[in-house]
Amino acid sequence: MAYEAQFYPGATSVAENRRKHMSGKVEKLREISDDDLTIILGHRVPGTDYPSTHPPLAEMGEPECSIRELVEPTDGAKAGDRVRYVQFVDSMYNAPSTPYFRSYNTAINFRGVDPGTLSGRQVVEARERDMEEIAKFQLETEMTCPALSGLRGATVHGHSLRLQEDGVMFDMLDRRRLENGTIIMDKDQVGRPIDNKVDLGKPMSDEEAAKRTTIYRVDNVPYREDKEVLEWVHRVFEQRTMYGYKPAVQE
Amino acid sequence: METSASDTKKSIQIEIFPKRMIKPDTVEGLLNKLCSLEGIQRAFIQGPRLPTKVPFGPAVGTPVHHPVRTNVHFGKTEMGLEVLVGRITLELAGKEVMEEINAICEDTLPCGFDIREGRFIQTRQTVSDYAKRGPTADPALYGLYDPKSKIESQVNLLRTNEKE
Repeated sequence: MAYEAQFYPGATSVAENRRKHMSGKVEKLREISDDDLTIILGHRVPGTDYPSTHPPLAEMGEPECSIRELVEPTDGAKAGDRVRYVQFVDSMYNAPSTPYFRSYNTAINFRGVDPGTLSGRQVVEARERDMEEIAKFQLETEMTCPALSGLRGATVHGHSLRLQEDGVMFDMLDRRRLENGTIIMDKDQVGRPIDNKVDLGKPMSDEEAAKRTTIYRVDNVPYREDKEVLEWVHRVFEQRTMYGYKPAVQE
Repeated sequence: METSASDTKKSIQIEIFPKRMIKPDTVEGLLNKLCSLEGIQRAFIQGPRLPTKVPFGPAVGTPVHHPVRTNVHFGKTEMGLEVLVGRITLELAGKEVMEEINAICEDTLPCGFDIREGRFIQTRQTVSDYAKRGPTADPALYGLYDPKSKIESQVNLLRTNEKE
């Protein structure tokens, strides 16, 4: 029987959502066009070619190497794209994802990526077209609520603040806001104004956000209610402390 | 010098802490109702600052034009709001108006809120306050503005109280 990765313990909705984010089996909720994505990322003009830092690998004549034969380069690496970044911020008030789970999602499901996990933001560096693929995946699926998550390249403050009256996470650069029931973005991720407004979709209701979140909270699903998670966290901590991750010593 | 709020031992301080950050319209409505009450000596609003320009990053210096950074009116006084309001601290002459404040908050705020009593506005000068303002500083202004900034930019005296 083929082994199936289990990803994360636990029986609660939060544990189930964490498994979904890690495995990449998430529901697609909205559509964002390639041009819109390119505009809000702000790295190049939509419709233009990807700038490159080296010629395509096929033209370069790579040295003989068993690892290079074994590992197929990503599309971005094949074409010689620049390395570019996308950065997300997720509110602590039941945002669907968190920096850790965005990083798990990226590292498990995509290749050639360098995820950076911080307390309030998560950045991914990759070849430009590979990075766009990740950004599109995370923006279009249930990993992102346009009101509770934000695409923010710089000036990320807001993830730990209370939400605004309209249920949107605070953004001091006003990159995105609620207009007629949908979230509109009229600046790119670093705060430069863009020509047209990009529709990021409808925000999740409070109930839906509570259902789709990967955050344990006492006012939603408390961490201590998930006995299996607690048991495994205790086990990891105990074994790390007592045996320094050397199970052989324990036996 | 007249006896100021900070000198009065009986004065108490309360903090109104809404569950959501509140919009300028709501702030205006709430503070206008609170202003009509007797016995509120000082008010202090706090929240994350809204910059006029992008402070850092590749777009540094680009104008922001945040819609929340606007002017609000309290009676005849106009005030530029430079923060998204997260909490409001009031200094009261006594506890008599607490129930009315609670009722006003329930009417005005669209979300839940907490009101707690404590010491939120400083009552004595710090060393840097003293260095900037000297020994003759008005005790009523302690803690209401940053020693590095100009008083006009951070403190508003309501015109209704000008005669008092």
